[in-house]
Amino acid sequence: MSVAELESREVMIEGAGAGLWSDALRRLRRNPGAIVGAVLVAIFVLVALAAPLLAPHDPRAQDLNLIIKGCCPGPSAHHLLGVDDLGRDELSRIIYGARLSLLIGIVSVSVGLSLGIVIGAISGFFGGWIDSLLMRLVDIMLAIPGFLMAIGIVALLGPGLFQVMIAIGIVNVPIFTRLLRGSVLAQRENDFVLAARAVGVRRRTILISHVLPNAISPVIVQGTLALATAIIDAAGLGFLGLGPQDPSTPEWGNMLTDTVRYLQTAPFLAIFPGVAIVLSVLGFNLIGDGLREALDPKLRGRA
Amino acid sequence: MLRFVVRRLLLLVPILLGLSILVFVWIRALPGSPAQALLGERATPQTIHQINHQYGLDKPIYVQYWRYLKETSQLKLGTSITTRQPVLTEIGQRFPATVELSIAAALFSILIGIPLGFFAAKRHRTVFDHVSLGISLFGISIPIFFLALILKYVFAVRLGWLPTVGQISVLINIPHPTNFYILDALLAGNMGALWDVVQHLILPAVALGSIPLAVITRITRAAVLDVQNEDYIRTARAKGLAPRIVDLRHVLRNALLPVSTIVGLQVGLLLSGAILTETVFAYPGIGSWLRQAISDRNYPVIQGGILFVAIIVVFVNLLVDISYGLINPRIRLGGK
Repeated sequence: MSVAELESREVMIEGAGAGLWSDALRRLRRNPGAIVGAVLVAIFVLVALAAPLLAPHDPRAQDLNLIIKGCCPGPSAHHLLGVDDLGRDELSRIIYGARLSLLIGIVSVSVGLSLGIVIGAISGFFGGWIDSLLMRLVDIMLAIPGFLMAIGIVALLGPGLFQVMIAIGIVNVPIFTRLLRGSVLAQRENDFVLAARAVGVRRRTILISHVLPNAISPVIVQGTLALATAIIDAAGLGFLGLGPQDPSTPEWGNMLTDTVRYLQTAPFLAIFPGVAIVLSVLGFNLIGDGLREALDPKLRGRA
Repeated sequence: MLRFVVRRLLLLVPILLGLSILVFVWIRALPGSPAQALLGERATPQTIHQINHQYGLDKPIYVQYWRYLKETSQLKLGTSITTRQPVLTEIGQRFPATVELSIAAALFSILIGIPLGFFAAKRHRTVFDHVSLGISLFGISIPIFFLALILKYVFAVRLGWLPTVGQISVLINIPHPTNFYILDALLAGNMGALWDVVQHLILPAVALGSIPLAVITRITRAAVLDVQNEDYIRTARAKGLAPRIVDLRHVLRNALLPVSTIVGLQVGLLLSGAILTETVFAYPGIGSWLRQAISDRNYPVIQGGILFVAIIVVFVNLLVDISYGLINPRIRLGGK
């Protein structure tokens, strides 16, 4: 048994009835970490959606008069989090940055998830040479460290916001593929699948209405955690200058790039966007961990 | 055991071949043709044709791939566009620094992560447990370059305890026979230089080690919690073994099985994280080299660097797999 198969065995979830989700929700509500995570994510999503209402200034508007005495004036009544090296309001840029991070997270995870679900389900359900071929491909992709592969893909497509989302999405594909294959494999031999087959249900119907719903919970956990990673990786790519090429774009990673130069005089320029990244990522990680525990059949019935 | 190792080694062949195809396709898909890049503005249809012929670019695609494979397996990785040096030579100059940094980061994360996870599990559901879980959660939630910036600001800029950038102070001059600076300092018998190199290593290593630290702490904690409930632990306790002996010989030894796998899997993370860490600290390893290549669009370097790192990761994972088989007979004998 290889390491990966051990892992997939860990995430195996026994076929559970309708009680799984209500039970999970009940346990989730008793998990303080998950609640903190939910609050953080709720704030993050609200800020992203209501950015135009919340932001006190235009995130792209420059006021060079503000930095006439050097970079950069810190927090003040008019600019709660200070202004950056071009006199742009830091708070407004962070608020608008939430939009981009949310967008990057959702799009890239959707790309990874949809491709991963299709490939993983096919691989796990049909088995045989299709499975071997697809899994060797996944092995190759997993051999390259994710962030490095994302850099390679962005280098290929050219830097930019859209390219970053695609790159991170593709990096997620092998992870979701392997995960889904593992849980489909675990489901395939279940009695209810055998029963459905015995009464002559079509293979496609079995896959879609019996196997997938039962195999999906580890994928949801991984999806939540992948959102966190996507935000971090996008910030990393932005930091390396591979993100949005328009320097006025308020992307959190981009905002951190130039701050290295002003670390002596204006450390807050690095701290505020950094804290924004940490809090949103922490939120998704907390929810993901909570979900993992709540959906773990070994822990069901306890607590 | 030999069969197990041979089987693992054979699995390498398709992975390395696949990797080479991936990188080859990647090179082919890059914007701009090589002839255009070489000729620049002097390109005419005739000269382009000539260059294409000269480099075999007019041959069928499988001939080109075969040629690429042959050159790559002979370690001909091309020439850097900016320095005109062979990519392999530059890797040789840069990689030792990254190895030193990665080893330091790995040591930091293992030496702190395993005890932290172990004691968190022993004190399950106490304040210590919650705090260590909190730290590790924070560790995986903070972007590595942001942590690097904060560390640099606090310990280098503000407090001035440690140097801000580089691998060694400019004033120190020691010969570099190996390019591993710690080794070089030891060979030179220069303790001042050694201390200087170590000081330069601390902040980048802590930043780079933060994610592995968090992961190792979590896995160790979970593994110890699992093992503690096993029958053989109860038996060991029941027959009157001292708690310390039970912890060391039975709990920790068994709990370290999953931990050892995870430690191996962190190598890829360390090498890709090095790109960000080395950038923040201007540390002259393979990471900052790749980062520079990215902004220069120095494709031979990007291609050679990514291929090199991926191959290193594949081999380290192979070693981890084999050593895992060595310490866990269930894997070795388990067939598939």
